[in-house]
Amino acid sequence: MADHMHRSPPAAPNRQTLLTFRLQGEVFALDVARVHEIIDPLPMTRVPRADPFVPGLINVRGSVVPVVGLRQRLGMPPGERTEDTRMVVLEIQLGEDTTKIALEADSVDQVIEIETASIEPVPEIGITWPTGFLAGVAKRDSDLIIVLRAETVFAPVTSHALRAQ
Amino acid sequence: MTKATLPVQTFMQEANEVLEALESRLLELEEDPSNQSLIDAVFRSLHTLKGSGEMFGFSALARFTHSFENAYDAVRSGRAQVSQTLIDVSLRSRDHIQRLIDAGTDPEENARLAKLPEGQALLGEIEALLGGPGPAACATEAPAAPAQERRFHLRFTPEESALRNGMRPDLMVTELSLLGTCTIAIDASQVPALEDIDPTASYLAWEIDLVTTHPQQDVEDVFLFAEEESLQIREVATEATLPEVAGPDGRGPVTAVPVLATPQTAPPDRPAPDPSPRAERNPPPRKSDSVRVQSHRLDELMDQLGELVIAQARLNRIAKDLADPTLVGTAEEIERLITGLRDATLSIRMLPMGTVFGKFRRVVRDLSGELGKEVQLVTEGEDTELDKNVIDSLSEPLVHIIRNSVDHGIEALADRRAAGKTDIATVTMSARQAGGEVHVTVSDDGGGLRTDRIRDRAIERGLIPPDNDLSEKQLHQLIFAPGFSTAQTLSSVSGRGVGMDAVRSVIQDLGGSVEVSSTLGKGTDITLRLPLTLAIIEGLLVRVAGQVYVIPLSAVDECVEISATETYRESGRSILTIRNELVPFLDLQTLFGFGTNRARTSHRIVIVRMEKRRVGLVVDEIIGQHQTVIKSLSPFHRDIDGLAGGTILGDGSVALILDPVALVQSTGTATSEAA
Repeated sequence: MADHMHRSPPAAPNRQTLLTFRLQGEVFALDVARVHEIIDPLPMTRVPRADPFVPGLINVRGSVVPVVGLRQRLGMPPGERTEDTRMVVLEIQLGEDTTKIALEADSVDQVIEIETASIEPVPEIGITWPTGFLAGVAKRDSDLIIVLRAETVFAPVTSHALRAQ
Repeated sequence: MTKATLPVQTFMQEANEVLEALESRLLELEEDPSNQSLIDAVFRSLHTLKGSGEMFGFSALARFTHSFENAYDAVRSGRAQVSQTLIDVSLRSRDHIQRLIDAGTDPEENARLAKLPEGQALLGEIEALLGGPGPAACATEAPAAPAQERRFHLRFTPEESALRNGMRPDLMVTELSLLGTCTIAIDASQVPALEDIDPTASYLAWEIDLVTTHPQQDVEDVFLFAEEESLQIREVATEATLPEVAGPDGRGPVTAVPVLATPQTAPPDRPAPDPSPRAERNPPPRKSDSVRVQSHRLDELMDQLGELVIAQARLNRIAKDLADPTLVGTAEEIERLITGLRDATLSIRMLPMGTVFGKFRRVVRDLSGELGKEVQLVTEGEDTELDKNVIDSLSEPLVHIIRNSVDHGIEALADRRAAGKTDIATVTMSARQAGGEVHVTVSDDGGGLRTDRIRDRAIERGLIPPDNDLSEKQLHQLIFAPGFSTAQTLSSVSGRGVGMDAVRSVIQDLGGSVEVSSTLGKGTDITLRLPLTLAIIEGLLVRVAGQVYVIPLSAVDECVEISATETYRESGRSILTIRNELVPFLDLQTLFGFGTNRARTSHRIVIVRMEKRRVGLVVDEIIGQHQTVIKSLSPFHRDIDGLAGGTILGDGSVALILDPVALVQSTGTATSEAA
């Protein structure tokens, strides 16, 4: 399948390229290598009896792609779609399968390159989200960027089970 | 993306086919030990493996097969007999060869493999059967039976690219010379001028005269991996070996020498006079009316076709919206063409069931030995065709079923005699097409399912309450419950209690179902009902709570519309009456947890057939029929009961494909209603 986004050249070994987006006023980031494309919101088909974390499906250029509720997983209230709302299509590894998923962001910011060393471990206090979902935090100007760990934050287990581990 | 197939890969693929044929011939030989043509066929398979294996660098394989081949050469020439032991060793040797093929061509690895103890042990057993070391190079030895010497004339013109592809004419010629006496001449007439020579290209042709006692097949086998058109082979009469008949004065003698149909005195550069004598005398060269295609390419083709079907649905919709008669006409024509294309593509993917049945003769044979029960396998309907992907997923469940049949179904010999049954038990595997489904049945003539034991076990495992009043048929179904096993002792063969549960889940993943029927003392039938194909289905589009769903048409019996007052009951069960038959029904909207629609004045109900009963599904609207490509769901949604997959509709939206049987089962309606 054609790649619909121009991939940035790989960062130098000690640097990371991240895509930042906003959710409920916070800035989150994901490794840009996992990002397949960014699209305008599409109508979603609800899946009956599905885990509320993965409530529905969208059609991304002929592929049936599950929509994950990142707000739900991070314990945020449901959001409203605005004209800035975008869907980020990612490719993640689930066990042996590579699966495409889509998440809805309040807005997509930019692609940034930062020193790997500047990503700090998640502080013990002051972060309300389950730390297993996070790869670390980085500072940019006055913003705190929360780098998500794609392997866990999108895994089909409840946050409850993750905490128990 | 498309990788050129390397000759070594082709060899491995074809060698695996030769091995498969070898196994089935060995099994046939076991039943008919004196069948000379089978013995010859086994010998030829081995010879082919040895020769070609050597050529492609499978040296361990070639060395091992050589001794194996000697054994069958001895049998062929009457110096040894086919025995149970020989077949046994042969089957195990076959398995060993399989490992050697899988190991590949690495020289060091091959040297190591050749010394492996199991290989050496097998060789020892083979030698022992032959009564001492066999002749080292049997291929060059004339067999004891006086065989007719024949003379072949071969012209071998390799493709220009043959050398680049790894063809080794020197090895071929060496192998050929092992078959008999060769006279070899080289035709260099096609070699171009020096400046035009491509050093990697092949320009030469070989003219070979071969006198041999081997059949023509053996000679052709030497060139098995060369392009077919590069070899011309014809048999010439051996009398032609007489010296030149032309008289010294240039005039042909008028005396005793008979005139031959194809005079051998013809100058060598004259083209072959007439193809007809060759056609009469020799079997025509194996003309391939089939093409070898890697199955992933077929899958790609199917994917593309699936996209085409979806795009076509979109076109249909646009045409309908625009209401332009020319466009509608064209869209309809394209639809017709795509349907034809779909049917043609699907038929390419169809394989006969025989391809999967074949391996079960070995399974049954090994099991009978292991469990000390004499069992014969009868197969029926080998020609029944089924989608390759379905067939591929089928062998595991069938192995489970057969193991269960032989282990639990078939009684011990004493019990069989007491019941007045034949000593040799029979397991029958049959396949037949029934509408859009294929039914595969495994029957045994054993003791049947013991419902009393099933009931005890199920209660013990907490699967059913102790005060149940399940019917015999319902008790039979319990063998598919997770964690159920009735075997008295755990054996290595079956009895771990996962078998039938796993069978059912594989078959359901394929969109099929499993049924069991059993008569105490008479035997058990297990029937797998499978869809003809997995990729594209005919579906019925329905709307529920504003969303479109697809119900596979193969599951739909009929659609009815009934006014709400006639059927609806606020509490208890919902049952409607169709032609004096009580049919329970479920409201999909409620079932999906999307609330209850009380505004309806009438019910549109899709009646689906599941196993032997019918259940109604209430929907808001029945939209119509639709050809659907099934797209599998992600791991997030794969385990939801009642969903078979997703698809994309003409308007670009995603619709879910329902699996009505699993959907109804998930509610427990089927069992509670039936009780």
